[in-house]
Amino acid sequence: MHHLIINKEEWDKALEKLLLSYTVFAPANNEFGQDYELLRPEDVSRIIYNKPKPATPLKTFFLPLKENVTTEPRHEKQRIIMGIPNCDIEGLGLPEEMYLNGEFDDLFFQRRRENTILIASDCLGIQEHCHCLSYGISPFTAGKADLALILLEDKMIIRVITEKGEDLIKNVSHLMPLTDNSILESIERKHQITEDLLKEKNKGLPDYATTGRLVKEAGPAIWKKYSSSCVSCGACTLICPTCTCFLLIDKPGFEKIRQTDACQYPGFQRVAGGEDELFELHKRFKNRYMCKYVWKPERFRSIACTGCGRCIEACIGRISKNELFMELV
Amino acid sequence: MVNHSNIYRPLRAKLTDVIEESPLIKTFILVPESRFSFKTGQFIELTVDGIGEAPFTPSSSPLVTDTLEVTVMKTGYVTEYMHNLKPGAFMGIRGPYGRGYPVEKFHDKEVLILGGGCGLAPIRSLLYSLEDITGKLRKVILCYGSKTPKDCVYKPLFARLNKISKFETYRTVDKPDEEWTESVGVVTSLLNKVDVTVKNSIAVVCGPPIMMKFGTIRLLEMGYQDDQIYLSMEKNMSCGLGKCGHCMMGEFFVCKDGPVFTYDEIKDQPNIWS
Repeated sequence: MHHLIINKEEWDKALEKLLLSYTVFAPANNEFGQDYELLRPEDVSRIIYNKPKPATPLKTFFLPLKENVTTEPRHEKQRIIMGIPNCDIEGLGLPEEMYLNGEFDDLFFQRRRENTILIASDCLGIQEHCHCLSYGISPFTAGKADLALILLEDKMIIRVITEKGEDLIKNVSHLMPLTDNSILESIERKHQITEDLLKEKNKGLPDYATTGRLVKEAGPAIWKKYSSSCVSCGACTLICPTCTCFLLIDKPGFEKIRQTDACQYPGFQRVAGGEDELFELHKRFKNRYMCKYVWKPERFRSIACTGCGRCIEACIGRISKNELFMELV
Repeated sequence: MVNHSNIYRPLRAKLTDVIEESPLIKTFILVPESRFSFKTGQFIELTVDGIGEAPFTPSSSPLVTDTLEVTVMKTGYVTEYMHNLKPGAFMGIRGPYGRGYPVEKFHDKEVLILGGGCGLAPIRSLLYSLEDITGKLRKVILCYGSKTPKDCVYKPLFARLNKISKFETYRTVDKPDEEWTESVGVVTSLLNKVDVTVKNSIAVVCGPPIMMKFGTIRLLEMGYQDDQIYLSMEKNMSCGLGKCGHCMMGEFFVCKDGPVFTYDEIKDQPNIWS
């Protein structure tokens, strides 16, 4: 890993050039808030850096809401996804483990993953429900993205992480190695401020392992209480960077459509004949917590809750999982 | 045998015959467009074109690779369509998926099998496998229960098995008719009749959840250890690939880790009997 520096103006020009050979998605502000947009040359100056977090989780780029999975995957132009917060970079780990497990590789996921360059953005500052650090995830990408960006006034600092990242920046002129230690120190100070904000905001919130233990031990009362305003809309799973359950819908010609599904929908586990162990709302509600904090950790290396806080923001029943956990502590 | 190029695309199979086993149960005989093999107890996803697919454990012998038999009870949306299919139609198959019966572990053992209703389908496939290794087994005891004599499936199977030394079969129904001469009562009541050396035995249970539950309880009472009891679990296996999440049973994906588990493996998981 090494650092490079470039003037923001030159970086913008470089991006415009990259647009000739890549499809680029980058976060920008629109009427719905901050989210990824398909980048056009005239939008380069609108890209948001350093700020958490796009409304859409990263998984959506690899597992679209609906897709015919019995056709041949389309050949797509190479993609760059920019401005990804580290919570989402870490959140891609679980879908990768599940969809590329070596035994049954999902060709659609695989092609897209190979075809995508991930450019992370360090979070300098936090949003109301950010709590990545409580689950051991840093707000700054260290290992999994190809490149990471930090904008410091009129300078773009680039951390080069992977070979894929190294290859991409070969196309960028005016890059200089970062030799000025005072800039690195300044970045470190900004990192520290963000971490302090996260710690202050989430004081008392149990860590991931402790949460798992608390969820496992909790009796039905807490699930009944917190699910009382749940309307089973599935927004929490849809918006979650690690939830990837789906439904296969049959079409004539033995075609199958893979469509996002949610364990929060009634009938998710119903079998022919009508048996449904998740029929009751509080059981479905609990299922999601058991899955994220107890079952998935027993089974997979990657984390199943990244602390992005999107499920809290998205909930129309105003259910906060963190309030629930604080009550369990 | 999994289609590696696209894990979601089914292999076409021609329906060549349909056997009516009972008013609600039919066996479909399929000829896949390419050879298809499976291990007994593994399952497949069977597609009705344009309608849907559902998981079934083949009821035929795993030694036969040019045809495949699947026994289906009419119980929901997809199976209702299946029951209306006529020979000549094409169906789709994906798989085989999951972990079947570890037949090699049954060597030198007395195999006690409890089957209920349509749960005899996977067991018939297992019985074909056991027939093939009769010499390596001590004894095979099949206890089968159904609601009425009309609901008993595979009628010729019992007559044939009874002619094989080392094989014993017992049948019971909940509600007998005038012609019924065998046992009456739930399937666990047959266990009072069998002569089995529990210590040197393994038990296999397959049937409706309620029967699996009470079957297991009774076997434990008889002295079977948790790891001597093999259960074939019924969940909503949809993708078969350990991805879609519909069949999760605690940390297990029934489609990948099962559908055959020992009771020991799953006894601490939630809602195993529902």
